[in-house]
Amino acid sequence: MSARPFAPRVAVPLLLLAFVFVVVPGVLALTGSGYYIRLAQLTLITVILTTSLNLLVGTAGLLSIAMVAFYGIGAYTSAILATRYGSPFLVNILASGAVAAAIGFLLALPIMRLVSIFFAVATLGIAASFHTIVLNWSDLTRGAMGIPRIPPLSAFGYDLSGPFASYYVIAVVCAVAVGIVHRLTHSYYGNAVRAVREDEDCARAMGIGALRLKVEVFTVSAFFLGAAGSLLAHTALYISPDMFQLIESILVLTAIVVGGLGSVPGAVAGAFILVLVPEAVRGLGDLRALAFGCVLFLSILLLPRGLFGEVSALRLIRRQLGLGRDGGRGLGWR
Amino acid sequence: MLDVYFVQQLVIGLSVGMTYALVAIGFTLVYRVLTAVNFAHGEIYTLGAFAALIAILSLKPPLWAVVLCVIAAGAVSGFALERIAFRPFRRFTDEASLKSRAVREATLLSSLAIGIVIREVIDRFYHGQYQTIPEAYMLDKPLRLGGVVLSSGEATIIAASVVLLIALQYLLFKTRTGIAIRAVANNLIGAQLSGININRIIVATFVVGSILGAIAGMLVALAYGSVYSYMGLNAVIKAFVAMVMGGLTNIPGAVAAGLLLGVTESIAGEVVTSAWTDMVAYVFLLVTLVFFPKGIFAWKL
Repeated sequence: MSARPFAPRVAVPLLLLAFVFVVVPGVLALTGSGYYIRLAQLTLITVILTTSLNLLVGTAGLLSIAMVAFYGIGAYTSAILATRYGSPFLVNILASGAVAAAIGFLLALPIMRLVSIFFAVATLGIAASFHTIVLNWSDLTRGAMGIPRIPPLSAFGYDLSGPFASYYVIAVVCAVAVGIVHRLTHSYYGNAVRAVREDEDCARAMGIGALRLKVEVFTVSAFFLGAAGSLLAHTALYISPDMFQLIESILVLTAIVVGGLGSVPGAVAGAFILVLVPEAVRGLGDLRALAFGCVLFLSILLLPRGLFGEVSALRLIRRQLGLGRDGGRGLGWR
Repeated sequence: MLDVYFVQQLVIGLSVGMTYALVAIGFTLVYRVLTAVNFAHGEIYTLGAFAALIAILSLKPPLWAVVLCVIAAGAVSGFALERIAFRPFRRFTDEASLKSRAVREATLLSSLAIGIVIREVIDRFYHGQYQTIPEAYMLDKPLRLGGVVLSSGEATIIAASVVLLIALQYLLFKTRTGIAIRAVANNLIGAQLSGININRIIVATFVVGSILGAIAGMLVALAYGSVYSYMGLNAVIKAFVAMVMGGLTNIPGAVAAGLLLGVTESIAGEVVTSAWTDMVAYVFLLVTLVFFPKGIFAWKL
């Protein structure tokens, strides 16, 4: 009885890691096209965005449109550090996460007492003002010209600028981010966050520090969004304010709504849909935003729980991944 | 102290603020009735501007006919928006589920989605380019009042908005529909029990709000002469700020906040470069949300 739930708990993550680290690069090496490798990199960066935003919007129920601001803060932090001070990538990515998390923390303190719609409006303001600031603070961000010639990835003196090396760096960061979000969501901590989402007063009466929990979740998600921004800056090698417009937030929001709010597998699936489907239907071209508007609407109307609903995702992870404490019935968390 | 130049900026600010106020009223009405935010409201504003442009380019009608076209466009789009983005999510009619969080968030996202669709369709149709209103229809003749020079467009915006606000107050307080709107806003179930058809009233609310939004779009188009698919996005953010500052459900508050915002932006434009004036709204929003969570006009105006 004790050996049975142990096996999938180790085997499933190993299979997933093998897929990301061996199968995908292997297939890409066979096709030998740099374009597909870049696509794979973008998909993994988007996976970081969707999973960390899903922790905030899905699990904690805080409808935030400010995603693009933290993503952008991360990208600009790395770009400025790298081009002005020549600091190495490993420092930059941590600094990007830290700066995004610090700004997220400071912003979270005042706006966290706002309820649902007010919160959404405030985050809308954050996203819009980020764009205005980046566009106009030319001394720091070079305004609309953007920051070119950002050095590519490297670590410990090794040059990691090759397509596969970059892919592996992104994959490692992505695996760490998804792993941490996964353990935050699928644990008693996640239960507490979900309790605050369902009924904040009730959760506080049960002794859960609701405000602190929400600020924590906001900060953690800002950290990973910032780190993702750093990866973008060091792989795209050029960033400009145009890359961080409000619509990006809404596209990522669409991805997690379609994937399933509150469900980690859903968020990962949403990222794949967001990046790969527009590529599959190339004819769509610049109708991307239009198509996503339609998909978002139809998904809310016809599939309100998303592709992988939260409840089924939690059950899947408790039972099949063996993370449930009570093996047979899959209750609690291990 | 009160020099002419300052007064001029003040009047320009008032005219800009009036357009924010007109858009904010649409938000406020919907919020009062459904406790939901209509994110597609900015696209109604855009549609109003484009309806004016299309009417002018295709028929070259007199100005009053353009206004009628825009009113019709606003009414139809408000009606359609309610049908498509809001009604499908009101599956149950008890108050708890009508104002439940799930419905509010579903309509928030659905109106956001419809807004994107409208904006992108317009964008594709005009290939993302600015359209210009023909010279003959533009309200850009200079008017001289004492030492103050303002364009006829700005004067029209102020005059038309004042008329619309008075008409709105008349509608809300003197007509059966308006009283029913206020009744539904106040107590949905009570209104239903006294024989008010709430679905009809919700539609009426959307239609009234959308007409105001569409007229605001038209006025801006005629006064400044350019029409583009993203014009609603800016207006919607400013109107949001005005609505939140006004206290979400307070129409006079939203108008006062819109005017305050417009005037502050106009005067701030003299101190900092114009690109930074957008920050005024965000600073106002943050200050309001942090220090006056119930709105700075929380008391009854």
